[in-house]
Amino acid sequence: MIATFFLIALLQIKVPDAAQVLGPPQGPPLAGAQLERRTMELSSELRCPVCQGLAIGDSPSIMAANMREQARELLSRGYTREQVLSYFEKSYGQFVLLKPKFQGVNALVWLLPVLVLAIGFVIVVTKAKRLEKTPVPAAGAAAVPEATSEVIDDPYLARVREMVEKS
Amino acid sequence: MIPTLGRFLILASVLVATTGAFIAYAAGSKRSPEGLRWSQRFAYLFAALMLAATGVMEYALITHDFSVEYVSHVGSTQVPLWVTIVSLWSSLEGSILFWGFILGIYIAATTWINRNDHQEYMPYAIGTWLSVGAFFSFLIAGPANPFLTVANPPLDGPGPNPLLQNHLLMIIHPPMLYLGYVGMTIPFGFAIAALLRGRLGQSFLRPLRASLLLPWVFLTIAIMLGGWWAYEVLGWGGYWAWDPVENASLLPWLTATAALHSAIVMERRGVLKGWTVTLVQASFLLTILGTFMTRSGVFNSVHSFTQSSIGPTILIFLAAVLVFSVVLLSFRIDSLEADGKLDSAVSREGMFLVNNLFFVVLTFTVLVGTCFPLIVEAVKGKQMSVGRPYFDAMVVPVGTALLFLIGVGPALPWGKASKKEILRALLPPLITGAIVMAIGLALGVRNVWTVLTLLFGGYAAHVTMAQMWLPFRQRVKRGDAIGPALVDAQLRRGRRRFGGYIVHAGAVIVFVAIAVSSTMRTQQEVTLTRGQSTTFAGYTVTYTGSEERAEPHRQSTIARFNLSKNGAQVTTMEPRMNQYAAMREPIGTPAVYSTITGDYYISIMNLQGDQAGVLIINMPMVGWIWGSVIMMGIGGLIALIPSRRRAYVVSPVPAEAAGDEVPA
Repeated sequence: MIATFFLIALLQIKVPDAAQVLGPPQGPPLAGAQLERRTMELSSELRCPVCQGLAIGDSPSIMAANMREQARELLSRGYTREQVLSYFEKSYGQFVLLKPKFQGVNALVWLLPVLVLAIGFVIVVTKAKRLEKTPVPAAGAAAVPEATSEVIDDPYLARVREMVEKS
Repeated sequence: MIPTLGRFLILASVLVATTGAFIAYAAGSKRSPEGLRWSQRFAYLFAALMLAATGVMEYALITHDFSVEYVSHVGSTQVPLWVTIVSLWSSLEGSILFWGFILGIYIAATTWINRNDHQEYMPYAIGTWLSVGAFFSFLIAGPANPFLTVANPPLDGPGPNPLLQNHLLMIIHPPMLYLGYVGMTIPFGFAIAALLRGRLGQSFLRPLRASLLLPWVFLTIAIMLGGWWAYEVLGWGGYWAWDPVENASLLPWLTATAALHSAIVMERRGVLKGWTVTLVQASFLLTILGTFMTRSGVFNSVHSFTQSSIGPTILIFLAAVLVFSVVLLSFRIDSLEADGKLDSAVSREGMFLVNNLFFVVLTFTVLVGTCFPLIVEAVKGKQMSVGRPYFDAMVVPVGTALLFLIGVGPALPWGKASKKEILRALLPPLITGAIVMAIGLALGVRNVWTVLTLLFGGYAAHVTMAQMWLPFRQRVKRGDAIGPALVDAQLRRGRRRFGGYIVHAGAVIVFVAIAVSSTMRTQQEVTLTRGQSTTFAGYTVTYTGSEERAEPHRQSTIARFNLSKNGAQVTTMEPRMNQYAAMREPIGTPAVYSTITGDYYISIMNLQGDQAGVLIINMPMVGWIWGSVIMMGIGGLIALIPSRRRAYVVSPVPAEAAGDEVPA
């Protein structure tokens, strides 16, 4: 479904020209090994619209190859990482950004885990403090009273215990 | 005939599981030994029915009985016998039946092993297992029935999903995953039993821990096999994409690992009982959530929710179990708690708490990242993605912190220790850490997280090795002969501890190998004409031509590449494109040349006439991941081998020296 939708979109809408959308390049033109490295990094952050959740750097599809080529070209003309990302976002929607922006509702996906870490940290510290203060029930031998009451695997003893409890 | 027999067996199993669950719970609340006997019989009967139903389905598959709907969907007379056998779990309905089969085996085996033990808990445990069993047999009987009849049976079927036929790893991966997933039902039943009984005695820790460790081992291996399969088959040179289905397998693994650790504190100190039980419950709930994620179709395409009838049913079950677990927990958690205490936060116990915190944060992060796009789309109607860059950014710091704990935790002594003792324990391993880091820097590692991973990894390796052989060294120092000391310290009394540290050693290598292979990989896309060569990462690759090969179920195009180093022939690599009758797009299988230092990986991008467009990847250390995960599994199994019954008296030998202890 999504795949067909994007294919149709791809055929009908002309991809906007970078200069119109982004204005002048804000970085130095790249070439050679540096260009390759940056293209690879960028390719891992963009989602291939026609695949199942793959980055364009990981997908063998033709569309992904075209997008990689486009990214390489933009980088070589001096557009920065942010500019290229926003160019693709304008063309395909925020759906293509595999790393959600810290913006609006999407900020939650970044904040919630940090919040849980903070709350968890407070809980662990208070718990440790409280456990340290608990009166000592013969330290280290906590297991012993438990163990003696546990040896009721014998059904006969279990019945006896039950009767004693009832009376 | 076959469909009727299958449907009968499934309906009988619904009845048996439901009745058995009622009898078991009643036996539990009345404390009736006779009731327990009956619930055991029902548990065995449920397993027998599941076994029979699965046998009937396998018979239908092997005899190509296309009047059975499932067989007409996945069967084919064109595929080899092994493919026919494994197509039991190649599609939704069959895989749920397979689930029930494994659940039956687990329930019967655990009931049998504990047939004369833990009588105050067992009825509740059996009741819980059979309730889960009743739900799954209901799924098989209704929403996911594989035994429906086809009115006009076709002469042949399409065969199972081609990806299943592409690689042998696919035969082992799904059963392993099921053994891990389904196995989480068993500790869940024990946990519920402890809550319903209102206590968790020391002797009941043994079955609880063992029942958690076994599925943990299966899940560990299964997750690795999935990654290995993706790496060997999918052709993009990676093994983990943070795909929802992968995350689904990781989530219960994370909570189960946390539970295995908190169970050690529970055993040693008598604290964290309620918490451990919570983690065990969470692991089971996450397996159900994972089943929902992978089986409902919600995650592959957001729009197919209504097409799947099994999704909503699983969701309702998930909600019911969640509510039941939370309510039970809130009523009974106090009855389990604290009969022990902590002496100091800067101790091994303290580090266990931090370990659990990190595992919970990891679980939560993966859960949020996986479900967030769905929630945003449901609430705001906007499509968005949360992918690998997000997970890498969030998980790498926490993972590195966990590696730090693998080093620091076991180095710290139990209980209270003086500052001097703590420093003496923590400082020496720094030397090993620094050496490993220096080697990495000299070999060109520059990524900050990888450098940290090497430092912590070296540190943890030092501590792990020292702790692993500590009981042995203490016995030798005491004057024991080397042979008996070795057997007693590592394989007999200290076996659990030994196994635990083998798992840690494997984990340390996995951490380092993942960090190195993902940050040090280099790749190149190139198009070669026949006879042309290119040199990349020290090897010369020459394209020598391609060949077509026809097999009954697929048509393959095999490209040949000659790999040489410094003019000397190394090997021939044959990446291929497989075209399956049932699929439009061809599936590529890359060729991998593995050495001890790393992999050289060639994947075909396109083949046209004399030209071959290929992706060449050089991945250092990647093979170490598979090997060391297997090592983690072996460590888990060593820790799992049952020891002789313990006598419940306090050992005169200090636990540390006896080695009767497990690692942090």
